[in-house]
Amino acid sequence: MIRQEWKGQLVMIEADVKKRLGDFSLDANVSDEHFICLTGKNGSGKTTLLNLITGILTPDDGYVTLNSRKITNLPIEQRQVSIVTPDSCLPHLDVDRHLIWGAKNKGLYVERDYIKEIKTGLGINFGGKVRKLSLGMRERVSLATSLVSKPQLILVDEAFSNIDNHRDFVDTFRDLAAKAKVDVIFTTQYPEDSTQADHHYRLDSGKSTRLF
Amino acid sequence: MNWLKLISTLSLALLVTPVFLLLYEGFGPLRDPIGYSYEVVRAIELSLLSSAIAAAICITIFTPLAYYFARNKNSLGEALSDIPASIPHPIIGVAILVIVSPLTPFGRFLLSVGINFFNTFLGLITALTIVSAPIYINSMHPFFQSMNIAYENYALGLGASKFRTFMSVVVPNSGRGILTASLIAMSRAMSEFGSISIVAYYVLQQPFYGVSPAPVLIFQYYTYYGLGAAVTASAVMILVSIVIMILLRLVKRSTTL
Repeated sequence: MIRQEWKGQLVMIEADVKKRLGDFSLDANVSDEHFICLTGKNGSGKTTLLNLITGILTPDDGYVTLNSRKITNLPIEQRQVSIVTPDSCLPHLDVDRHLIWGAKNKGLYVERDYIKEIKTGLGINFGGKVRKLSLGMRERVSLATSLVSKPQLILVDEAFSNIDNHRDFVDTFRDLAAKAKVDVIFTTQYPEDSTQADHHYRLDSGKSTRLF
Repeated sequence: MNWLKLISTLSLALLVTPVFLLLYEGFGPLRDPIGYSYEVVRAIELSLLSSAIAAAICITIFTPLAYYFARNKNSLGEALSDIPASIPHPIIGVAILVIVSPLTPFGRFLLSVGINFFNTFLGLITALTIVSAPIYINSMHPFFQSMNIAYENYALGLGASKFRTFMSVVVPNSGRGILTASLIAMSRAMSEFGSISIVAYYVLQQPFYGVSPAPVLIFQYYTYYGLGAAVTASAVMILVSIVIMILLRLVKRSTTL
């Protein structure tokens, strides 16, 4: 299988942020592009870092830029950053309406063939209300919806973990993201998942280390 | 029987005994035909309709406020929204009348454009909305707090504005919460007496010309005819309230299933 690569303009993510939450202190730096893996134990600060990048949390100090565009103080909806957690979905919608919801928000025209390609690639061969789907199915739909909405960056917070054959799924997702020129940061508790990434950062007690 | 069950049974009996006694007396020994006359039926119609409208207004106006309180800590705002529930309700009635009083410039202005709360359907609905709104807000607040915020963050990340996220994500996933809270607000509105006895002792507009809201009519019956008519009318009103209560239970049950 030929690995799809990002072409054209690169989206560079730079985040150098500090945040204190109770006894926990995060001091992290991510500066890369494409498919980035973030590993670390529970409580190491992975989710906090993603929340700072997406705008759910505001850093005490530091900045977040996307393609040199400073987004530190922008509201979530203006950042062009989509976050997907295991709970992320629009439960009242059916699968097909869910897939185009984000694109419709942005006024993007989505070709049927593209939806078909995404559905086939990500194994979405089911329908019905999203609230009635299994967790793994919901995650497939939510990740696909994010891709179709074409943000500059997708943050995947443990949302690959509950998907069957998740390593194959991650490979396909990476290829579709490359084709759509969307960068991805994904968190995982399994360091071996980093072999599928272009870059790997490890978080340990709130401190980040770039491994490659 | 353990002590907790015993105390619970006794306290429950304390709550329901007056109600069942009223039902028994109202349809039994103290039964008075005036208590289920056409006038009572019209009064219950007026109470049901005005309470339902007040609940609908609560949904429209106060759902965003309850959501705001659930997502943003605002102790002052929450305390302010509780004021109508924590003051004697006749004060609400007086306050509403002050708004349209010809003694104030604002009141004169409202009257000049045809807005009058005194003995009008509008005044009745306004009073019922104000007294039931805190109940509605306090019911919706925990519902929104328990709603998974991941849905909203996901929608915002997909480029939806906060307004669109509220309308297209929060509201469609709050149907049962809104229905439960609005039925509670409607029940509260139906039982209101203090404010409406001042603002709308009776309504002087069609199709309810000369009709008093049910709680006011029961008070009138008590003062004009004595206990019998008041007890029978109360028993009829309780039956209507029980229907709403059963509906509420059914909604709550379907929510937890």
